[in-house]
Amino acid sequence: MKALLKRDHWPLWVVFLVIALALILPAVLPWTYDQIDWDAVRAPAFSGSHIFGTDEIGRDRLARLAAGTRVTLTVAIAAALVSLVVGIAWGATAGWIGGKVDEVMMRFVDALYALPFMFIVILLMVIFGRSILLVFVGIGLVEWLTMARVVRGQVMALKQRPFILAAEAAGSPPLTIILKHILPNIAGVALAYLMLTVPQVVMVESFLSFLGLGVQEPLTSLGILVKEGADDMDMTPLGLMLPGGLLVILLVCLTIEGERLRDIYS
Amino acid sequence: MLALVARRLMTAVPTLLAIILASFFLMRLAPGGPFDGERPLPPETQAALQAAYGLDKPLWEQAWIYVSRLVQGDFGPSLVYRDFTVSELVAQGLPISLTLGGLAIILALFIGISAGLFAAVQAGKAADKAIMMFATVATALPTFVTGPALALFFGLWLGLLPVSGTGEGWSWLIMPVVALALPVSGAIAKLTRAGLATVLKQDHIRTAKARGLPETKILFKHGLRPALVPVASYLGPAAAGLLTGAVVVETVFGLPGLGRYFVQGALNRDYPLVLGVVTLYAALIILFNLFADLIYGWLDPRMREG
Repeated sequence: MKALLKRDHWPLWVVFLVIALALILPAVLPWTYDQIDWDAVRAPAFSGSHIFGTDEIGRDRLARLAAGTRVTLTVAIAAALVSLVVGIAWGATAGWIGGKVDEVMMRFVDALYALPFMFIVILLMVIFGRSILLVFVGIGLVEWLTMARVVRGQVMALKQRPFILAAEAAGSPPLTIILKHILPNIAGVALAYLMLTVPQVVMVESFLSFLGLGVQEPLTSLGILVKEGADDMDMTPLGLMLPGGLLVILLVCLTIEGERLRDIYS
Repeated sequence: MLALVARRLMTAVPTLLAIILASFFLMRLAPGGPFDGERPLPPETQAALQAAYGLDKPLWEQAWIYVSRLVQGDFGPSLVYRDFTVSELVAQGLPISLTLGGLAIILALFIGISAGLFAAVQAGKAADKAIMMFATVATALPTFVTGPALALFFGLWLGLLPVSGTGEGWSWLIMPVVALALPVSGAIAKLTRAGLATVLKQDHIRTAKARGLPETKILFKHGLRPALVPVASYLGPAAAGLLTGAVVVETVFGLPGLGRYFVQGALNRDYPLVLGVVTLYAALIILFNLFADLIYGWLDPRMREG
């Protein structure tokens, strides 16, 4: 924790600031994200109580940004956790059992890596309706591959270490060894890759929402806001620049911090 | 080398088949069909249409018919664009998507490798740090933000480039290709830089330096080739990324490529169209991975046997 307080972890603090604003603003602002101000359609920035103005049907931009950020980050964290669980389970199993099982399981991962997986996710979205639950299950199922590879490598390396061999010799069942001795040792690396998964997931979620396949109205997300902004950019460029800029800032900060963590642990 | 190609092609067929069947059954699990319009059709018309397109047969039989026609190169009729076969639609869209993707990967390789090379030569200096910072930012730039942003700036404000459509000449290609290439070039720059950093520390480079070879020759002849191995292994995922990016870019810039047909087809439940596009995408990615493997073997002769 102390390490995180250092000054060069500014990207993390930017992310925290964005999260804090996304949580606090909806409670403070006079407008909700879906409320229409009939007297101020496409209002410019700093007009009356609309700090960033309003969109093409008179909804407060700042309120929508906060709500969209909230949805995007919630989906991202949930999906990253899905990928964490699936990835660790798959990678640890393959790494621990080894041999033929490992071979088959990792070939499967290799095969999935090469697939146009985004397209299967798009199909899933179209087919099973566009519920927010499905959005992150779908994304989580795509993004677990790297995690599985990394965890497998770590488990393979740990397996040969004396303290694991000792636990085995003492007769601990495999599941206990994995949960008690292996998982705590791979937590750091897993955290680093989790950090790198979050921007990936943000990107996928926004991509789906941009195509109209992700989160649905009246809910909003950064992807939807970018789409709305792009559709209306000839009238009010601010509508594209605000959510687009925020999205890029979030993605850049998360990527920098994730890569830094990854370099520390590997 | 030939053995590798043969083995890859052998695994490509079952992979393709699995993708086709998975997409086929996934799509049919869905509620709704291609003939649900604004106004519901009379039941007998529905039934007649279903029968005409063979949609009333058992699913397994339909899947079998589809695959056996596909083997003969017949993608079937489009259910929504009634006057066209899927092959005709695909023949229209594929060249556009291939041009976009091909140009984007060439541009990304050019920018990425030169930037990575320059950064590695300047290792530790301000230029190195700046380039790597830019590369990180570039990898995090989603095409659906850069696309509209470019269109806004160069298209609407400066009026330099066409905002949508294919139009005259080739200027319509610039913005879509740049939007597609940016994140890939960032990743390639990082990989090149990291690869060179490891390679330049190795013995054969020290030997070359000790023999007094000129710096540039060492860099290009002895350093760059092994350093590009990680770049080659990134090409497969990059191709998949470009194809997904192309869906967005084609939507943003109103280009009638494969990606647009895919999204439209999926929304309209145009089963044969979606299947056709998925099959093509999968085949393209598999081909590109094979190509990447060949480059890999060329860069690092130790890989040729494996």
